[in-house]
Amino acid sequence: MARISIDPITRIEGHLRIDVEVDGGSVQNAWASCTMWRGIEAILRGRDPREGWVFAQRFCGVCTTVHAMASVRAVEDALNLDIPPNAQYIRNLILIGHALHDHIVHFYHLSALDWVDITAIVQANPARAASIADGVSNWPGNSHKELQAVQDKVKGLVASGQLGIFAHGYWGHPAMRLSPDMNLILFAHYLQALEFQRKSCQIVGILGGKTPHIQNLAVGGVMNAINLNSLATFNMDRLATLQSLFQDLVPFVQQAYFVDACLLGASYPEWFHYGRGVANYLAVPDLPVDAKATKFDLPGGLIMHGDPGSLRPIENWHDQPIRSAVAEDLTRAWYTGQVQQPWKGQTIPEYTNFKPDGKYSWVKAPRYDGQPMQVGPLSNVLVGYAAGHPLTRKWADTAFGNITSAGGPTIGPNDLQSTMGRYLARAIRSAMLSDLALQHWQLLTDNILKGDDTTYNPPQFPQHEVVGVGMHEAPRGTLSHWVVIDKGVFTNYQAVVPTTWNASPRDQKGVPGPYESSLVGNPVADPEKPLEVLRTVHSFDPCMACACHTLDVSGRQIAQVKVL
Amino acid sequence: MTQNSLEPRVAILGLGNVLLGDDGFGPFTVEVFRTQYECGPEIEIIDLGTPGLDLGPYLYGKDWVVIVDAVRAEGEPGTVRTYSEGEFLNAQAQLRLTDHDAGLQECLARLRLVGLGPSEVCVVGVIPESCIFGEGISSRVFAVISVAIDTLVQLLLERGFHCQRRSRPAEAKWSWDFGRRRNDYD
Repeated sequence: MARISIDPITRIEGHLRIDVEVDGGSVQNAWASCTMWRGIEAILRGRDPREGWVFAQRFCGVCTTVHAMASVRAVEDALNLDIPPNAQYIRNLILIGHALHDHIVHFYHLSALDWVDITAIVQANPARAASIADGVSNWPGNSHKELQAVQDKVKGLVASGQLGIFAHGYWGHPAMRLSPDMNLILFAHYLQALEFQRKSCQIVGILGGKTPHIQNLAVGGVMNAINLNSLATFNMDRLATLQSLFQDLVPFVQQAYFVDACLLGASYPEWFHYGRGVANYLAVPDLPVDAKATKFDLPGGLIMHGDPGSLRPIENWHDQPIRSAVAEDLTRAWYTGQVQQPWKGQTIPEYTNFKPDGKYSWVKAPRYDGQPMQVGPLSNVLVGYAAGHPLTRKWADTAFGNITSAGGPTIGPNDLQSTMGRYLARAIRSAMLSDLALQHWQLLTDNILKGDDTTYNPPQFPQHEVVGVGMHEAPRGTLSHWVVIDKGVFTNYQAVVPTTWNASPRDQKGVPGPYESSLVGNPVADPEKPLEVLRTVHSFDPCMACACHTLDVSGRQIAQVKVL
Repeated sequence: MTQNSLEPRVAILGLGNVLLGDDGFGPFTVEVFRTQYECGPEIEIIDLGTPGLDLGPYLYGKDWVVIVDAVRAEGEPGTVRTYSEGEFLNAQAQLRLTDHDAGLQECLARLRLVGLGPSEVCVVGVIPESCIFGEGISSRVFAVISVAIDTLVQLLLERGFHCQRRSRPAEAKWSWDFGRRRNDYD
C-alpha cells in the first residue's frame, strides 16, 4: 500500500494537505488536513454588531461579500429585523455578481487544467474546432479566427520552452483525454473568462461602492441612496450600467461556461462514477424576493443518504431544526473540547502534529444531527431538483440533454452525486443565477419606479441577551454566522463556513468528512502524479482561507507530492 | 474599482490583511496616500485586501501597477524598498500575498498572454515586525508609512503623472479599525 501526501494542494486559496493510501490503483483511505490556524472570530467579541460585517468580510480575501452578508443577516435575525425590498434586491444582485465571478474563476482558472492538456493544443485544427463549438453553442467567441489566435499563442509558449505558470501541469498524463480540438475550445474560453471576471467585479463595485470589500451594507438594509433625479446617487444611469454588464456576462455563462461543463462531462463519463462521498446534502434558501424573506428564488433543504425522497425543505431562515441540529465536533481537530453548538462555540488550540489516528486538522467537523453533510452547488441543485423547482429542472435537464447529444452518457440527477457532478452542478447553478440576475434587476427597477426609495430600517438593541444566525448560500455552499449579542455588543461569534463542512476531519465516531470519503475509490494511475486526487478535491472548490482563517503558522512551503 | 471609474491606466494597490498587524501596511498606506495627495483620473487607488487569484481584474488593461505590501526579505523591520518585477518574482523579496497561492505571478502571466497585462509592475514593500492577528500596525512600521508615501509620490512624478499634495486632507474611508494608532495618525 502506497501512502501519498500532497501538501499543499495548489490552485486553491489557503493551505490544504491531503493524504491518501493507494492500493491496486485506487484510493483506500484519505485524510484532509488544513494547515492554518483558525480563530479570527475572537476579534469580533466585544464589538458593536452594526460594524461586525466590516470585519467579517476580511475573513477571506476572495469571498468578502458573503461574510459581510451573513454577518448582517445574523444580527437582523437576532433582532427580528426586516429589511426593505430594495435592500433585498440590491443584496441579491451583489450575491449573484459575486457568485458568477467565483464559479467562472473556479471552472476555468482553478480547475480546468486538471482536465485540459495545454500542450495538446498545438495538434488542434482550429477550423474543425470552430465547427465543433458552433454545433453546440451560439457563443460568438468560437470563431475560427479566435481559436487560431489562441492556438498561435500556445504554440509560441510551447516553442519557447517557457511554459511559465503552466509549467507544473500534468501534461500528457494518461488521465487527460480530451481531443486536441476540445482542449483548444476550453482553453480559448479560459482566456476569454478574464474579461468576464472583470465585468462581474464591476457589478459588485457599482452596487457595493467598492470591490473587494463592499461598503454599502448596514444592519437593517443597505446604504445606497436611491434618487432617480440625482446624478450622485443610485439612479437610472447606474441601473442601466448594471443591466448592460449583466447582459454581457449572461451569454458567457450560459453559452460558453455551461456548455463547456457539459462537454467535459460528455468527454469524461467515468467521472460520474467517482467521488460521491458523503451523500447527505444541505442547502439553505437564498435570494429572497420579499421584504420579510418568506419566498426565495433558490430553494433550501436537506437530502439524506443520497435519496431525493428524503427531502426536508428548509422554507426560510427561521427554520428551527437547523438551529439545534448544527454542532461542531472537535475530537479530531487541533482544539480542546468535544462537540459544541456554534452559539456556545470556543476556539482553544491544542496542536499535536499530524496524527492520522488522532488530531490532524485546524478545520473543525460540523455535523447536522451528528451526520456529516456535503454543501455546495451540488446540494443546491439536488435539493432544487428534488423539490421540483422549475428553474433548477430547466437547466439540469438541459445539461443532461447536452451531454447525451455531445456523445456522452445518458445521465440524470442521481449521477450528479460524483466528482463530475459537482462541476456540472456548479455550471447549472451559474446558468440559473444568470436568469435570476436579470429577474432581480427587474424587481429592483420596478420597485424603484413605483416610487419606493427606502433602503434601511434602523436596528434597536435590547438590554438582554439575544442570539441569531445569518444564513447564506454562498458559491461554495451553506454559510452560517452564529452570533450572541448582549447589551449591544457581540459576546460570541462563530462562522460555520462551507469549506468547514466539506473539508471536515473525522468526528468522535471516526466518520470522515466529504473530501475524505469522496476520495475513497478514486483511481490513481501514477502515484507520483496523483492528478485524479486533485480532480476530486478541486471539484469541491476548496477555499481554506475562511475555513481556518488566514493565519500562516506553517511557513512557506513548496508544493510537494510525497509517496511514502 | 470604484463607482465612476474612468479607464485608469495606472493602479496603486494596497495588499494585505488589515486584521494581521503589519500585514495591513499596504491597505493603510494607500488610503493615507489618497487622503493626502490628489492624482489624476488615470490613476486608480484601491485597498485590495488579500485577493489571491482575484487580483486579475484589478491588473486588467493597466499600463503600470504599483503594489504596496509587507514583504518577506532580508533586513530590519521597517525597511521600505522598491522592488522591480524581476526582483520579487526571483524571490529576492516575497509578497506575503503569495502565501495564498502565487496569485500575482499567475494573474500577470495570464493577462499578458492575452495582451491585457501591465507592461510594468513594481512593489513598494516594507519588512514587517509582526503580523499578529488583531494587534494593529507596529510602531516601527507605522513610522515608515510616510516613507512609503514619499516613494509613491516620487515614482508618479518621475513618470510625469499629476500628483499634488492636497491643501486639506480628504476624508479617510476607514473601513476597519486601527484603534489607538489610527487616532494617533489623525
